[in-house]
Amino acid sequence: MEKELRETLRYLGYRGRTEQEPETGRQQMLALAEDCLREARQAARPRCLWKEQPLQFLEDGRLDLGLFQTRSQALAKSLKDCTGVLFFAATLGAETDRLLGRYGRLQVSRAVVLQAAAAAVLEAYCDQVFEEKKKEYESRGQFLRPRFSPGYGDFSLECQPALLAGLEAGKRIGITLTGRYLMAPSKSVTAAAGISPVPAGCVTEGCEACGKTDCAYRRDEA
Amino acid sequence: MEEIRKRKVFLDGGMGSLLQERGLPAGQLPETWNLQRPEVVRQIHLEYLQAGCDIVTANTFGANGLKFPADGDMPLEQVVTAAVACAKDAVRAAGHGAVALDLGPTGRLLRPLGDLDFEDACRLYGEVVRIGARAGADLILAETMSDSYELKAAVLAAKEHSDLPVFATVVFDGSGKLLTGGSAASVTALLEGLGVDVLGINCGLGPVQMKAIVREMLEVSSTPVLVSPNAGLPRSEHGKTVYDIDADAFAAEMEEMGRIGVQLLGGCCGTTPEHIRKMIRRCRNLPQALPEEKNRTVVTSYSQAVQIGGQPVIIGERINPTGKSRFKQALRDHDMEYILREGAAQQDWGAHVLDVNVGLPEIDEPSFMEETVRELQSVLDLPLQIDTSDPEAMERALRIYNGKALINSVNGKQESMDAVFPLVKKYGGVVVALTLDENGIPETAEGRLRIAKAICRRAEEYGIRRCDLLIDALCLTVSADSRSARTTLETVRRVKEELGVGTILGVSNISFGLPQRENLNSTFFAMALHSGLDAAIINPGSEAMMRVYSSFRALSDLDPHCGDYIRRYAVQPGGNPEGTSQGASAPKPLPAAGQPAKRDLTLQESIVRGLRERAAQAAEEELRARDALAIISEEMIPALDQVGQGFEKGTFFLPQLLMSAEAAKAAFAVIRERLEQSGTRQESRGTVILATVKGDIHDIGKNIVKVLLENYSFRVLDLGKDVAPEAIAEAAAKDQVKLVGLSALMTTTVPSMEDTIRLLRKEAPWAKVMVGGAVLTEEYAASIGADRYCRDAMASVKYAQEVLDGGDGL
Repeated sequence: MEKELRETLRYLGYRGRTEQEPETGRQQMLALAEDCLREARQAARPRCLWKEQPLQFLEDGRLDLGLFQTRSQALAKSLKDCTGVLFFAATLGAETDRLLGRYGRLQVSRAVVLQAAAAAVLEAYCDQVFEEKKKEYESRGQFLRPRFSPGYGDFSLECQPALLAGLEAGKRIGITLTGRYLMAPSKSVTAAAGISPVPAGCVTEGCEACGKTDCAYRRDEA
Repeated sequence: MEEIRKRKVFLDGGMGSLLQERGLPAGQLPETWNLQRPEVVRQIHLEYLQAGCDIVTANTFGANGLKFPADGDMPLEQVVTAAVACAKDAVRAAGHGAVALDLGPTGRLLRPLGDLDFEDACRLYGEVVRIGARAGADLILAETMSDSYELKAAVLAAKEHSDLPVFATVVFDGSGKLLTGGSAASVTALLEGLGVDVLGINCGLGPVQMKAIVREMLEVSSTPVLVSPNAGLPRSEHGKTVYDIDADAFAAEMEEMGRIGVQLLGGCCGTTPEHIRKMIRRCRNLPQALPEEKNRTVVTSYSQAVQIGGQPVIIGERINPTGKSRFKQALRDHDMEYILREGAAQQDWGAHVLDVNVGLPEIDEPSFMEETVRELQSVLDLPLQIDTSDPEAMERALRIYNGKALINSVNGKQESMDAVFPLVKKYGGVVVALTLDENGIPETAEGRLRIAKAICRRAEEYGIRRCDLLIDALCLTVSADSRSARTTLETVRRVKEELGVGTILGVSNISFGLPQRENLNSTFFAMALHSGLDAAIINPGSEAMMRVYSSFRALSDLDPHCGDYIRRYAVQPGGNPEGTSQGASAPKPLPAAGQPAKRDLTLQESIVRGLRERAAQAAEEELRARDALAIISEEMIPALDQVGQGFEKGTFFLPQLLMSAEAAKAAFAVIRERLEQSGTRQESRGTVILATVKGDIHDIGKNIVKVLLENYSFRVLDLGKDVAPEAIAEAAAKDQVKLVGLSALMTTTVPSMEDTIRLLRKEAPWAKVMVGGAVLTEEYAASIGADRYCRDAMASVKYAQEVLDGGDGL
C-alpha cells in the first residue's frame, strides 16, 4: 500500500486488521480512502517557503533563532549540535478548506476521510520538499535535522506570529493566524529544522520521536 | 486622475526592504518608524519622487487597529497621521506628487475560512481611511490583496469613509489565480462593480511572470490598469530575501507593459528608486490611451466569473419557496442544510448561477436572506442571484456577498428604480429589469420595449452601465393568453436588436396552470434561446430542459465538436443528469428517483452498509407495506444499534458510522414526509445546542456529533463555529435548552470553552454541558467545569439520552 494511503487510514484510526471486521467493510474503507485521497490531491495547491537563520543557545537556557527567541527543551534537543535553523512553512491552500467545509455541511462521513487524506497529502509534500533540502545541505557538507513544529512538546504556539512574519507567509503563500494562533488555511504546517555540521546518529522523526507513546494514532513500529 | 488620460502615471516602489536596509530590525513593524524615525520614511518618499514618480504610497501598508490598537504605545491614529505627514512633507520638498493612503491585507483571513468577520474587516479599514483622509491623503490604494472578500471590505470602506479616488490591486500566482481562488476576470468584475477608479496587479511575481495575467486583465478591464511587480522572483540568501532582476531589466520589462496598454506603472518588493527612475526614463513618452469600454456582462463568486452573452447561462430556480411546501417547511424550520443541498444538487445538474429567494410572510426575510447567502457562498462556488423585492434584504445580501451578484430584480416603477439602482451602484451587480411599470405589464412587445428603454435611461443616470442590466421580457402563462409566448419572444428579439442589452427569462412561468408542463417549458426554452435569450431561470434538474440546452449549444456552434453534448449523452443514452462530468469536487448528488442502486438489500442492511440512496429507496418500499413507526423501531433502530456497537468494539470505524448515520437520515427524511402527510408530526426527543467555541474554526467534530444526535431524534440547534459565549448562553436561555455540546480543537481555544461554561452557569443554570475535542481529557474537562467529557460521538449520544430521557422517544 502506498504511504499516503496508509497514512490516511492511520489518521482515521483505522488499522485494518480487526478480525471481526467484515470484508465488505474493509473494502469500503479502502475505496473511500483512495477516492478521498484523489480528491484531496486535486484540490490541493501546495506551496511552501523557507528561510535560514543563525542559531544561538543563550546562557539563560533560551534559544535565539534569529526570527525570535524562545525557551523549549524539546526544540533545544532537536537542535543539538546545530549552528543554524531552517524555518519552513507550507500549505495546501484555501481550496482544501473550502472542500472540507462543503463536505462538513453536506456529507460529514466524507469530510472525515478527506480531512485525513488532506493531512497525508500535506505531510507527503513537506517530506518531499525536505528530502530535496536535505540533499542540498549535504552537498554543502551540512546536515538537516528533522522538522519540528510549534505546538509540539513545549515549543510554544506563541512563536507562530514571528515565524510566519519572518517568512512573509501571509503575503506570499496566504498562511494567516486567527486570534488564537490557529493557522488558516487549516491544512498548513510551520516548522524549524536544525542545520548541523555533523551528521545525526540514528534519527527518529515524526511519530516515533514523540513522547506520547499511548497515542491512538501512533505509527506502527514495523 | 486627469493626468491618467494624458500620459503614463508612475507609482513608487518597495518600502519595507529599504527601511530594513536603513536599520529597521527584522520583526519590527515598518509602520513604527513613521513615529520613531520619520526622517528616514520621508527621505525614501523623496528619493522616489526625485526618481520621477507621480504617486508615493504612505507607509501604512500594515497599519490597522489589530496591530496598532488605540490604547497601545502607538495608537493607529498617530501612526497613520504621521505616515501621511511624511509623504506630504516629501511631496512638498520635491515640488510635485500625490499621496496614496496604503491599505494592505489585515493579516487575518475572513470567515468562514478564518475568524475575521466581514463587517469587522470593513470597520478596521474604515478607521484607517477616516484618519488618512483627514490627514490629507490624495487617494486610496488597496493593494497586495489575495482574497476577494477582504478586497471588497477594503474598497467598500474606502468608498464609505472618504470621497477620494480608489485604486485597488491584487496578487496573482504563476497560474493566474488569487491565493483564495479568483481570476483576472472575476477580480476585474468585482472591482468595476464596486466602482474603483484604477485596478490592477502588484507583488507576488516579477514583471516577466506577470505579463500573461496582465494581458488577461487588459482584455477584460474597462478601467485603467496599474501594474506594480516585484523585482523578479525572490530567493533566500543568507537569511535575507533577494530578488533576481536588476533595475535595467526591470525597466525594459515595464516598458513592454506600458506598450501593451498598462496605464499606471510602479514597483513592489525588491524595487528601489533606481528601478523606478530607469522605468520612468523608458516609459515616460509611451503613448497613453484609456481602455475601451468592453461591455461585458459578468457575475462572479469568490472564484468564478460567469459571462452572460454568447453562451446561454442557466440560473437554477429551485431555492425558492413558491409552490413548494417542503421548501416552505425548511424555511420555517430554519433548515439551512436543506437549502444547501438544493444548491449543491443544482450545481451538479449543471447550473451556472443559483437564484436565491427565501421570501415567506412569516420569516424575517432580510436576516434570513443574509444568512442564506453567507451559507451558500461558504459551501458552493457558483455566483448567486439575489432574488427579493425587499430592499433591506437585497442590501444586506449584496453587502456580504463575496463577488458581483445577479440581482433579481428592478422594474419600471419609479419606486423600484429609486430603491434598487443606488444599491447596484454601491455594491456592483448585474440587475434583472422587469418590463412592467406603474401601469402593469404591457400586452405588446412594443410596450415592453418602451419600459426597457426607460429603465436603461434611468440606470444610466445612476451611472450604471447597460452591460450591467438584463432585460426580463416577462413570461406569462399561455393558458391565460395564447399570444403571450409570441409577445415574449418578440420582446427578447427586439431588446437584443434595438437596445443591445442582454435578456433573461423565468422560463417555467409559460406553462402555469397547464398539465405536463415540461413539454411546454422545454419547447418554449428552445424557442427563446433561438430568439437570442442570454440567461434562463429554470430547473436544471429537469432533464427535458437540460436536453434543450445541450442540443441548442451543439446546433448553434457553441459547443466545439459537440464535445459537451457527447460527454453528456454518449455514456448514458437515457441522459441521467448524474452522468455528467460536472465538477468532481462537487458533493455527490442527492438520491434521485431512478438512480441505480442495489435492490437486494433491506433497509436495515443498507443502513448498516451506509448506502444512502438505497436506504431512502428501501424506506419508500417499506412504507408501502408497513406502518412508519414500525419501520423505525424494527428496521432502523436495530441497524443504528448494530453500527453503534460495532463502532465501540472497533469493527466499524468513524467514516462507516457516519455513512450509516447519513443513510439513516435519508431514510428518516422519507418516513418523516409520510408522517407529515398523514398529519402526525414526529416528536423530537429534546433539543441540544452544539457549537465550536469562540476562536476555533475547526468544526468537523461538532458536525459529526450533529449527524449522530439527529439520527437518534434529537433536535440540534447548530450555532456553527467560532461562536461567542454570549451567543451560546443566549440561545440556551431563550429556548430553555437542557443540553449544550461544545467543541474546541486546540489548547489555545479551550479557555473560550471555559468562559462559555462559566457564562452558561449564570445565564442558563439548568443546562448540562458536554465537551469534546482533540486536546481534551476527562480531567481537563472537569477542571473547566464541564458536566461530561465525551470521548467520541457515540459518547455524546449516550449522554444526550441520559440528560434528555423522558422525552417522547421514537
